[in-house]
Amino acid sequence: MHAAARALTALNKALFSLTKWLVYAIAGLMLFEVFSRYSLENPTSWAPELATLLFGPFFLLGGPYLLHSGGHVAVDILSARASGRLAVVLKICAALLALLFGAILLWFSAPLAHQSYTYAETSYSAWNPVIWPVKAVLPLAALLLMLQALAELVFLTPERGAK
Amino acid sequence: MESSFILVGMFASLVLLMLTGAGLAFVLGAIAFLATVTIWGPSALIVTVLNTFETMTSEALMAIPLYVLMASILQKSSIIDDLYTAMETWFQGLSGGLAIGTIVICTIMAAMTGVVGAAVAAMGILALPSMLARRYHPPLALGAICAGGTLGILIPPSVVTIVYAITAQISIGKMFIAGVVPGIILATGYCLYIYIRVRLNPSLAPVAEPVARVSLAARLATLKTLVLPAFVITSVLGTIYMGLATPTEAAAVGVLGALVSAAISGRLKLSSLSSAATDTLRVTAMILWITIGARAFISVFVATGGADSVLGFVETLEASRWVVLGAMLLVLILLGLFLDEIGIILLCVPVFLPIVKTLGFDPLWFGVLFMITAQMAYITPPFGYTLFYLKGVLPEGIGIGQVYRGVLPFFAIQLVVLVLFILFPDIVTWLPEAASARLK
Repeated sequence: MHAAARALTALNKALFSLTKWLVYAIAGLMLFEVFSRYSLENPTSWAPELATLLFGPFFLLGGPYLLHSGGHVAVDILSARASGRLAVVLKICAALLALLFGAILLWFSAPLAHQSYTYAETSYSAWNPVIWPVKAVLPLAALLLMLQALAELVFLTPERGAK
Repeated sequence: MESSFILVGMFASLVLLMLTGAGLAFVLGAIAFLATVTIWGPSALIVTVLNTFETMTSEALMAIPLYVLMASILQKSSIIDDLYTAMETWFQGLSGGLAIGTIVICTIMAAMTGVVGAAVAAMGILALPSMLARRYHPPLALGAICAGGTLGILIPPSVVTIVYAITAQISIGKMFIAGVVPGIILATGYCLYIYIRVRLNPSLAPVAEPVARVSLAARLATLKTLVLPAFVITSVLGTIYMGLATPTEAAAVGVLGALVSAAISGRLKLSSLSSAATDTLRVTAMILWITIGARAFISVFVATGGADSVLGFVETLEASRWVVLGAMLLVLILLGLFLDEIGIILLCVPVFLPIVKTLGFDPLWFGVLFMITAQMAYITPPFGYTLFYLKGVLPEGIGIGQVYRGVLPFFAIQLVVLVLFILFPDIVTWLPEAASARLK
């Protein structure tokens, strides 16, 4: 169990380290748009839209690892002072809430993403790309968040064979 | 009647579950999902998911990672160190000069970056040791760093301002411009306070004896360190003010400016670009996940008529609109004691703004008042961000208690400025109104 939890954490960490570079792509695309509008007097139809399409995956895929590293904003007036059994109970509650959030989000976003794929939904803009890959990231991030919450619960149990 | 029962339940469980120390995003989201299913059935959650898709492709919210990235890159360039050296040569002969210089640098940094941490951390490392070495009264030095660091909330560009403007549905550019004059007034207030206090009691900040003589030519040469910050500030705020670019596009221009500055100072390395990207994703993911949860929570609140009943309640009070305004600001200050600013904005602005509009107040002006209460929250324990940043760099023998004591007078100045802006709204509104013709 612990090995699986560690592997999942490593996966989410790797995803975090990969998606973090997207911010440079977003900045580059916006710059290109400003440049082509003023210097080439030829605004593009695709650059700003591609940037907004990258934005969702960028912040969503960063979220699951943040659950592990404690990067989500929380009120810690009680949990920072708690110790012993109370501290464990609070940690379990926190992980269960993230699990619940991830599970419901996954349950309701997956059908919508699938629908978008089946109908080859496009954005109806001048560029008009298909948008299911972006929509599919929401259930994916929800699933990873859910799994990370499970991993956090596993980390709270004593490891078998460990001294 | 049933809906008001659910609303009370929602807020009660919000308070209760927040205490577990779970991420605010998940607490808000989980409560909202459960409430939605209870009230309207599972199919209503589709609307929540559609709202989330909308958040994912918001051009305005995309400004957040770009401003954070710009700040992280600048923090890793040598701009701040250079500015600090220049400040020392210019201000060391003045009463309380290093503390005043700290405020000045914080103001410049606030205009370059949109986050608070950068200025506090940098001044904690650079200015604090040199002030303490000159035997400055520690609370004065610490208070100046904390208060100066929070100027970034009000002075554009500012991530907190972006979140407010989007939530209040007003122009980000206009909200940015509205922060300029109040920010300068606040910074001036801090400087005056330090100067007067040190003149009355010179032992608080002894001037180094003898003052190191620096030739005028050498002094003027240090001014060239101001060129890069001026370039970054004009490329971001200038393009917004002139209406050449949206705040998001201006942020991208600012990222380029930051990269150029880092390259000029020879600190453009792959490792620093990587750690800047890490900082950016951490802050962005945190803010945007809360946004998802809070939007779900607030949409339940609005759809069940909660916002209307709050408005109705305020109307039945028949209290003076100034009393209501004061009560709202008091709530914001109190919430700031234990809740993150982004969370406060996402939760309170949708509830307060209809009241603000009904009372005939300007949402832009209310936004500036809000940013000042946010600054108060940042420097007050127990949930003061700047205090956490400083804790990490406090030298031996200086406790967090001295930080708290140092912060108090600056808190009082913020309160005075807040009252000033309430009494004379024109101070806040004239610049954005003058610029509004050009703003996008």
